[in-house]
Amino acid sequence: MGAEWIAPVVVLAVVLPLLAALAIGVGYLLGGNHGEAGERGTSRLALSASGLSLLGLLGLDLQALLAGATPGQVVLGEWLVVGDYRLLLSFTLDPLGLAMGTLVALIAFLTLRFSVNYLHREAGFQRFFLVMLLFNTAMLLIVCAGSAWLMFVGWELAGVSSYLLIAYSFERPAAALNATRAFVTNRVGDAGFLLALFLAFYWFGSAEWPALLGGASGLESLAAGLLAGGFLVAALAKSAQLPFAPWIARALEGPTPSSAIFYGSLMVHAGVYLLIRLEPLFMQVPALSALLVLLGVLSALYGLLGAQVQSDIKSALMFATTAQVGLMFIACGLGWYELASWHLLAHASWRALQFLGAPSILQQVSQPPRPLPEWLRRRRGIYHAARERFWLENLSDGLLVRPTLQLAEEVERFDTRVVNRLIGRMESADTVSSLNEWERRQHGGGGTGGIGTGHGVAGHGMEWLASRLAWLEENLILRLGGEGLQGMIGRVGRQAQLLEQLLERPRYLWLMVMATFVVII
Amino acid sequence: MASLTLLLLTPLLGALLIALLPGDNRVLLRRVAIMASGLTLVPAWVLLWHFDSSLATMQFAVTVPWNPRLGTNFALGIDGISFPMVLLATLLSFIAVLASASITERSRGYYALLLLLEAAMLGVFMAQDWLLFYVFWELTLIPLFFLINGWGGKGGQGASLNFVLYTMGGSVFMLLSLLLVFDVVGLHSFAAADLLRGGQALSAETQLLIFLGFLLGFGVKMPIFPLHGWLPLAHVEAPSPVSLLLSGALLKMGAYGLIRVSAMLPQAAQMMQGVLLVLALTAILYGGLLAWRQSDLKRMIAYSSVSHMGVVLLGIATLSTIGLTGAVLHMVAHGLVAAALFLLVGLLYERTGSRDINDYSSLVRITPRFALFTSLAFIGAVGMPGTAGFVAELHVLIGGFERWGWWVVVISLGVLISAAYAVRTVGHLFTGPVRPSMQGVADLQRGELFAASALTAGFLGIGFVPAPLLQLMGASVAQLGALFLGMGESIR
Repeated sequence: MGAEWIAPVVVLAVVLPLLAALAIGVGYLLGGNHGEAGERGTSRLALSASGLSLLGLLGLDLQALLAGATPGQVVLGEWLVVGDYRLLLSFTLDPLGLAMGTLVALIAFLTLRFSVNYLHREAGFQRFFLVMLLFNTAMLLIVCAGSAWLMFVGWELAGVSSYLLIAYSFERPAAALNATRAFVTNRVGDAGFLLALFLAFYWFGSAEWPALLGGASGLESLAAGLLAGGFLVAALAKSAQLPFAPWIARALEGPTPSSAIFYGSLMVHAGVYLLIRLEPLFMQVPALSALLVLLGVLSALYGLLGAQVQSDIKSALMFATTAQVGLMFIACGLGWYELASWHLLAHASWRALQFLGAPSILQQVSQPPRPLPEWLRRRRGIYHAARERFWLENLSDGLLVRPTLQLAEEVERFDTRVVNRLIGRMESADTVSSLNEWERRQHGGGGTGGIGTGHGVAGHGMEWLASRLAWLEENLILRLGGEGLQGMIGRVGRQAQLLEQLLERPRYLWLMVMATFVVII
Repeated sequence: MASLTLLLLTPLLGALLIALLPGDNRVLLRRVAIMASGLTLVPAWVLLWHFDSSLATMQFAVTVPWNPRLGTNFALGIDGISFPMVLLATLLSFIAVLASASITERSRGYYALLLLLEAAMLGVFMAQDWLLFYVFWELTLIPLFFLINGWGGKGGQGASLNFVLYTMGGSVFMLLSLLLVFDVVGLHSFAAADLLRGGQALSAETQLLIFLGFLLGFGVKMPIFPLHGWLPLAHVEAPSPVSLLLSGALLKMGAYGLIRVSAMLPQAAQMMQGVLLVLALTAILYGGLLAWRQSDLKRMIAYSSVSHMGVVLLGIATLSTIGLTGAVLHMVAHGLVAAALFLLVGLLYERTGSRDINDYSSLVRITPRFALFTSLAFIGAVGMPGTAGFVAELHVLIGGFERWGWWVVVISLGVLISAAYAVRTVGHLFTGPVRPSMQGVADLQRGELFAASALTAGFLGIGFVPAPLLQLMGASVAQLGALFLGMGESIR
């Protein structure tokens, strides 16, 4: 029963925050909601969109409770069909998807409500709400998507909105740098996701969860491992597990509500959600499950040690989150997916509260920060390593960033020395930028203004050819064809006139008459 | 149905009315001209509703015996190939009249000639009798000669004489071919249908001989590469509305005639395919490179027309449905784009008195509307996706590729060159410092804005939604393509 309204409701729930974000953006462009006066309208719009989305999901929950069964896979239609590849627009509303969707909508709504006061009189109020709403849609897409590709859309949108919020105060160089760093690290995970997506389309012609999981059960273990490996990389990056863990500490640059929703409670769990969604696939590859346990243990230790040495509350919470998510990874690796999902739901709710409460705690608690535990104080090496986040960033700098930079420099050198000489540099192209330059050009002889001159080898070739053709045109076609034709007609006309004048003379006329007679006779 | 006759008569009556109007009221004359050319739009565009695009045959045919002893008829009719041309011609004529606000001297003669030109043009596209076609073909020369001569620039006299000599020279060969085919077919009829059937049955050598004559005649008009000597002069010297018509609609007469003759003499067309390919590719590069070298805006657009008509010729030379579709589409696309360019350049010239690119800069700050429409028109000229030129060039490219393979890479080179001069021109017009002498330039006024947006909407509309136009011409072009396809199989 009620199956007809499920599809529109879920679409609305996902799309409403996006529409609100668009409305805020358009309003800002048109100048309708600037400054403090625009705060009320903006926050109302955001809250009602997010609230309606929450209500829609609650309605779906209620319907599922009454019917005793969740709607499962809801297919809306085809989005794109290319050859044998079909991209469906579908949502997976099984117990996991619905529960996660409701949680996301709830936490997003509460965080938005919290932000109304928290960001009051901030310069980027509208921008903040716009991006938060984008993130709301992104998260709902991640947890409700019926296929890997639609989830990837949300995955990317979440990455982008995370980037935008970390760089919220973009005038500070540190914020911009940290945002870039976090975003680039996330892109590594995206590459893994894309690989898995590609493999799924290649092998099964579809990225629908049922088709993907069904198809994967028939795969050999190596192929399944490759597929699962791609998703694993994506999950590790998004959930800030080792070896990608350090980016999340940099992500704290954003405003507190955004840290809460992104890194405390929602986005950080997207990786775990992906693992749970792909449970049958990971169960098929024991080696990867073992790797999950190993990485989970390492991340948990990393988080635990890191949290001990932090002096500010947000960073400590962040490391604790990493540790907890590491535990979830361990649970998944051991096959306890049910446990992992309960842990996820509980942890997300708890951490959201902690993060949102953190600023108030700082104000109300005047105690000095907790001293280091005794055992850590005695082991200076571990303390130092934890302070430095186990040099993971330096490691990735040395292994990845610096070689890439060097390669880029080599390529640039090649570009300036070889390619630019062939193509010609564009900065010396033919437009004038100032009146002064223009006057100089007008008076200084070169009156062509660069018309018909090329740069680089190809440009010079073209210039040469064009000037030859222009010569041809000038001499053969215009002069010979145009003036020549007229000249020729003029000459023929003069000859004819001469003939006419001759014929008009009587003696020639007589001669003609005589000749005619002779011919007749 | 009398509607084609009505379509032909409306501009003629307008011309007559203008010639007979008493007094010398310039405003009144202009209003009558606008009304006459606007009224001509009605019978043409109303036909859209009645036109059955599933038929490949001539529709709305009118046949009145004219001179039975010669076997000529006053026969009109349109099919999917000529109908787009008729629509284009009526639209461009209307816009040309609208754009003629700056003509203040002897406006009676000017408007009468302009309307006469429109009627002759429509006659060419609608004639279903070859002698009638020839009469209309020659009839276009008379108003054009006087328009370029009397209202043109300094070199107008030389240019108009040059133009008429060239075209007449070509027409002589065309007439010879026409008489030859009339004679050889021996049906004692100039009716297009009779000559079509008779011509197709002729031996290959005879066909080739006749085809060459037609090629010379149409090649001058189109223009095909070495016969284009009249074009730069005429386009530059003609008043802008006339350049607009010349480039937008009159050049299409040559290509249109060539398509008709190819249907009449299919074997000859097939034998000449290679020659046409070489001529087309040469024209594309030659016109493009010369356009790149010009600093005179009108001259640049004139040479770019040579290049674009090369693309049309290439589409015709493929002799396949898709290539011919591309050719007809490109005729429409180039008609709209070239008209828009000449319109805008003409209006700029009226305001500034200069056509040299180097004299312009930073118009975007003074005249944003000019900037917008000129940029769009140049984008259309390059054939960017989203403009009609793209759809057309794509068809030609595919048709050419099926026939000749990688030879058509040259078209891409042509596109590249056209991008070079178009982008350069846009850059010159709209960047750089604000010049003191350009500060008083007025932006597009209401009527001009309407004309520019109609043309722009045309080429953008076809670019985004090409299906209706493709459907309009589909059946006729498919029939033509099937003719060559069947022939190719019978030869094999």
